[in-house]
Amino acid sequence: MSTPDAHAGHHDEGSYLSGPPGMIARIWQWASTVDHKKIGVMYLFAVLFMFFLGGMSAMAVRYELLDPIREQTTEVINAATGETEFVTVVTGESLKELMGGMFGDNVSGTQIYNRFFTLHGAIMVFMFIIPAIPAALGNFFVPIMLGAKDVAFPRLNLMSWYIYVIGCTFGVLSILLGGVDTGWTFYTPYSTTTDADHWRVVLMVSAAFILGFSSILTGLNFVVTVHKLRAPGMGWFDMPLMIWAIYATSIIQVLATPVIGITLLLLIFERVMHIGIFDPSMGGDPVLYQHFFWFYSHPVVYVMILPGMGIISEVLAIHSRKHIFGYRAIAFSSLGIAGVSFLVWGHHIFTAMGELAAVLFSGLTFLVAIPTAIKVFNWIATLYKGSIVINAPMMYGLMFLFTFSIGGLTGLPLATLATDLHLHDSYYVVAHFHYTMMGGTVIAFMAGLHHWWPKMFGKMYSEKGAMLGAALVFIGFNLTFFTQFFLGTQGMPRRYANYVDEFQTLHQISSAGAVILLVGFLVHFCVFFYSLLWGEKAPANPWGGLTLEWEAESPPIEHNFHKEPILKHGPYDFETTVPPHWDPKDYPLPENPGKH
Amino acid sequence: MTMQTLASAQPDILQKLIFGDKPAASEAAAYSDGLFLMITWFSIIFFVFLMGLMVFFVIKYRRRPGVPAQPSPHHNMLLEIFWTVVPSSSMLVMFVLGFWGYTQKMVVPDSAMELNIRGSKWSWVATYPNGATSPESQRLSKVEDPTTRTVTQGREYPIFYVPEDTDIKLRMQSTDVLHAFWIPAFRTKMDLVPNRYTGFGLRTPKLTPDETVIYHDKEKNTNTAIAGRDLWVFCAEYCGDDHSRMAATIRVVPQEIYDQKMADWSVKLSPIDAGKKIWTQVCKTCHDTSGARLVGPAWNSVKTGDGQFGFGYEAVLEDGSSVMRDANYYRESILDPNAKVVKSFAPAMTSYQGILSDEDIDNVIAFIQSLSDRNPNTGEANEDTENTNTEAPGSDS
Repeated sequence: MSTPDAHAGHHDEGSYLSGPPGMIARIWQWASTVDHKKIGVMYLFAVLFMFFLGGMSAMAVRYELLDPIREQTTEVINAATGETEFVTVVTGESLKELMGGMFGDNVSGTQIYNRFFTLHGAIMVFMFIIPAIPAALGNFFVPIMLGAKDVAFPRLNLMSWYIYVIGCTFGVLSILLGGVDTGWTFYTPYSTTTDADHWRVVLMVSAAFILGFSSILTGLNFVVTVHKLRAPGMGWFDMPLMIWAIYATSIIQVLATPVIGITLLLLIFERVMHIGIFDPSMGGDPVLYQHFFWFYSHPVVYVMILPGMGIISEVLAIHSRKHIFGYRAIAFSSLGIAGVSFLVWGHHIFTAMGELAAVLFSGLTFLVAIPTAIKVFNWIATLYKGSIVINAPMMYGLMFLFTFSIGGLTGLPLATLATDLHLHDSYYVVAHFHYTMMGGTVIAFMAGLHHWWPKMFGKMYSEKGAMLGAALVFIGFNLTFFTQFFLGTQGMPRRYANYVDEFQTLHQISSAGAVILLVGFLVHFCVFFYSLLWGEKAPANPWGGLTLEWEAESPPIEHNFHKEPILKHGPYDFETTVPPHWDPKDYPLPENPGKH
Repeated sequence: MTMQTLASAQPDILQKLIFGDKPAASEAAAYSDGLFLMITWFSIIFFVFLMGLMVFFVIKYRRRPGVPAQPSPHHNMLLEIFWTVVPSSSMLVMFVLGFWGYTQKMVVPDSAMELNIRGSKWSWVATYPNGATSPESQRLSKVEDPTTRTVTQGREYPIFYVPEDTDIKLRMQSTDVLHAFWIPAFRTKMDLVPNRYTGFGLRTPKLTPDETVIYHDKEKNTNTAIAGRDLWVFCAEYCGDDHSRMAATIRVVPQEIYDQKMADWSVKLSPIDAGKKIWTQVCKTCHDTSGARLVGPAWNSVKTGDGQFGFGYEAVLEDGSSVMRDANYYRESILDPNAKVVKSFAPAMTSYQGILSDEDIDNVIAFIQSLSDRNPNTGEANEDTENTNTEAPGSDS
């Protein structure tokens, strides 16, 4: 791999964070960088900003549901005529009041609510969860873990970031113009006929379309990087499991994202030019859209969760100083999930498809649960006889096993046809996918962020602060979403701005949980902010990791390694290897190491 | 047909916590509740075992200074096979039981009574085998405060009467966007798709003697307790602004009451009453008859900040031109709603061409007319000349 021009020069022995003096020079250095680490950091800040926006719109949704929009009718006796009359006043339009006249007078409280939940979904899915781990942490760590200087196509990598930012700009523009009310799934014919301003819908769909390219290019880059840039001595089965997970993710991104691109393009054509693909009055089929959409969006569920699983494999092994149990089982189950994920899209449409198709998709859906279960068993077996330390990354790792197991197990009644007919499109589904997406991906992202923070920025964070944040997130998350399982089974449909009175208590508990969750994330924000400014300098290998990123300095130098690393031990050989930068005195090895 | 059900007739705490106080309304629903509980118990056992193991390991093998991790095998083929086969076979059981329960919910005997359900933004209409539609409505959950006479949840939703202990097949279609007809008590739902029939079957429960509901007679303003059970219906597929207000009640009643209702409703109504009935079922969500601004303009003659409304009054359009609200104006607005949109309102209405018959349209117009204090029933030909700045709508006179 030849050195890209921008890497040449006298900085390559200094930290990648050091730059030329002067504000403008530094901004230009970052804006024009082809260094995967800088691009990873830029992604990190971009996705965290989108996480903030998506999180605030979630808070808006929970705020409205605290006291739903009600039409309160009072019976009064007309003094003049003596007749009884009903006077109706609307109460509980708390979101509308909060927003003031932002949306104009003619927009009702329910319309504002609909825009906010659409916003929450679209931002969280397209702009946060999909790029969060692969693009931010993956960009930073895939090349270093492989022992490479950079990704295979560094300029393409920078282009992906700019495409991502352009996509997000389109989305934010759509929001600033008033937002869309289609739901993040853009189901036809609602999305092609809704009277929300035409161009806002087109803008939001275009945003998702553009973001797709960023996703494809990043995936392509990683596939080539994993194939071509592994350090000397690193065979496929010497790769850390994080790399396997990112590799499986990248394959899904490259294969599935073009489908959503075409679908969204058709949707724009349908909306703007009325071509009639999804319009029943012109011979089209609205359900066809759902098939197209979920053919991408189901595999993408695994784009979201697989990298998280990769992080968990690293975190659990390193913080319990234990060889990962069933390395090949975990690696192959990643690929298995990637393969089967393309065959299960139909379970999102059980209530809009024929009986035979529903039965087939139900059976296939159970298949995808098996590799996931295998991973959980292997992770827990990894802890056996370990030397387990409880710190923030490990806390999040264990929390992942807890919340993600709930997410997985609560998926079973959704794959089971008889029970799904009841639970489909109810709050049960909302709770289930938040346990997998948030309890899975976001919790794993937090584990990874704490695990690699010292490496990325060369600063330690306050362990106590991080643990406090983790505890609040754990309590808040479970309070928010566990209640929603019961709402769903008792009959609360999703995407409702108001509801019958019976559901209010559970909704209020859920909203209270959301506040705790918010406080938890604010604590994390403060801890990280403090760490960046005043944090203690991080050692090169604070946790005793054996993967190659721990051989680099903290923060890594511009070219990652002083000289090309040669692999001498496996990523999880904790029983036989003293970790790099460690004194053997501080790291006793067992007397009779186990066999492979 | 008897069916083995896994749910207990005497719900335990878990069952009550999960499904609330409202029990499953049919055997198929009870079966799927039982299946859900079975999967839940399976999940609880698995979860507690795994988490117990995790906590045990974390405590037992916590890091102690100077003590290395103890070696143990890195993989174990037998163990891997074991924990692949056990979940796989459990899931096979769930799949088969789920498939069985699915057929119970979908398949109905040929003798089943057919009920047509039509969904449109944002209301439900049920049409009975004799062509009647239910004109009754009620508030979904109502809390009356006797001191202030306040009832919460102000909107009224239609009541669909069905006979007890009967097989019913729902044939459903949507007139605009996707909807989903969810009856939580029957634990089942299905999407409504434009230009396609969908449906599912259900068997209504047998009422117990102590089950009563309040029948409210609008004409006489009386409340009577009748035998019956009310079940909620919600729209479960997002359909826009008032998605969360697209609800209905299914009222299971004894056969005699059902028959009586059918007989009452098939009585030929006067055009105004027939028009009012259509308004209740179709138009009410967007058009108020007491002057309120909903999605569309109010129908009665009223002057508000948005202008003057009502039959016989001129409407000001978006482009500043005005048009007389006469019979032809209303007919055009029903069939081609976006041709003339009143100023400050969004072109949100979809065409009712093919949905409302000519007679229906006549009746609706008769009803609208009856709401106006300016009721120019005569001189239809003169009305067109009153139109200003706009071409006369297609006239059939």
